[in-house]
Amino acid sequence: MGAIIRNIEFFYPHKKISNEDLSVIFPDYNFTKFEEKIGIKNRYWVNQSETAFDLAKQACEKLFQKVDRNIIDYILYCTQSPEFFLPTTACVLQNSLGLKKNIGALDFNLGCSGFVYGINIANGLIKIGAAKNILLVTAEAYSKYIHPQDRANKGLFGDAAAATLISHSEEDCIGEFLFGTDGSGFDKLIVKNGGARYPYDPSALEMNYGTNNTYSDNHLFMDGPEIFNFTSSVIPNFTQEVLEKNNILMDEIDQFILHQANSFMLESIRKKLNAPKEKFYIDLFDGGNTVSCTIPIALKKYIENNNSTHKSIIIIGFGVGLSWAGGFIKIKNIL
Amino acid sequence: MTKNEFILMLQEKLEIEQILDGKTILNNLEEWDSLAAMTLIALVYEEFSIKLTVEDINSLTTVDSIIDKIGVTKFN
Repeated sequence: MGAIIRNIEFFYPHKKISNEDLSVIFPDYNFTKFEEKIGIKNRYWVNQSETAFDLAKQACEKLFQKVDRNIIDYILYCTQSPEFFLPTTACVLQNSLGLKKNIGALDFNLGCSGFVYGINIANGLIKIGAAKNILLVTAEAYSKYIHPQDRANKGLFGDAAAATLISHSEEDCIGEFLFGTDGSGFDKLIVKNGGARYPYDPSALEMNYGTNNTYSDNHLFMDGPEIFNFTSSVIPNFTQEVLEKNNILMDEIDQFILHQANSFMLESIRKKLNAPKEKFYIDLFDGGNTVSCTIPIALKKYIENNNSTHKSIIIIGFGVGLSWAGGFIKIKNIL
Repeated sequence: MTKNEFILMLQEKLEIEQILDGKTILNNLEEWDSLAAMTLIALVYEEFSIKLTVEDINSLTTVDSIIDKIGVTKFN
């Protein structure tokens, strides 16, 4: 018995923010250069009253136009934008979607490595016989954490949710996975205040970083160059290790789908890997960096655009934690 | 690579409009931002196989200070 990725649906909020829109807020910055280098034209942000959970529900409802919701027997919900400290967002989602009650549901807190983890956990649950049809939801709304005057992160991050159905199958289409963790970099990408260690501070100091970007400890902070350094030193070798773990050569892979962090970083990884351009997915033009949603969105778009199935794909997620994960999957059907 | 070739390369890759020389102060350049820092890290790694850390980047002042960080002996 094996497991397979059957369907993926994703959903962006309605509020579309183009680089022209950002130029109005940040008139001194050259967004043409940003667009060329980082590869992002539009990103979508939730409204004040909207949450990542609202996006998750929409993505799931899109999925349920294709599959019967009553087959779902497990929810894996990946987010760093939970509805509440407690309860578990996956439990709220079960009720909200009208799913069966005799099912498992849990949240896990990971960012850009989250989707890859989710696929591996789902694979394990199916193979031990704990579940047959797992709903993996990734839902993120970083825009709520970003300081209004933080141009760099406003440009980079977009909100989104993706719903992925992983089911048991005759053929096994989920291969071997590898993981990496380095908590010494916990403060390189962080929202410091508001958790148990440091409470939200209404009078938190506003600070500057990079070129005139503002943030406070209540907001999201990312040390961009440090994250870039981590990624470019760890991810190319790690990708090779994932290939070796699966006893597969680069030639046999149809597509490398890495977390769509930004196109400059991806291009730098591609060069180090010596992967041909046509085998290396880079597209964050419309949507931006949507954290744990970039890989499912890319998978869906890749299969759709190529209008072809039977693809061998390497997926690699990396980022906040610091955390990284990668694995081999086969896609057999239109998602 | 000579120092001058390196400075020209910096100017091109970092898309800096004004003419650079060794004494140019990075913080005075409009183009010197976190994107430029990433580009510099990648460039120095590709050309010299040297990994600049964020502390290295933060300690940079002038174009010459980049050359010092890489090591003057690496240049012809």
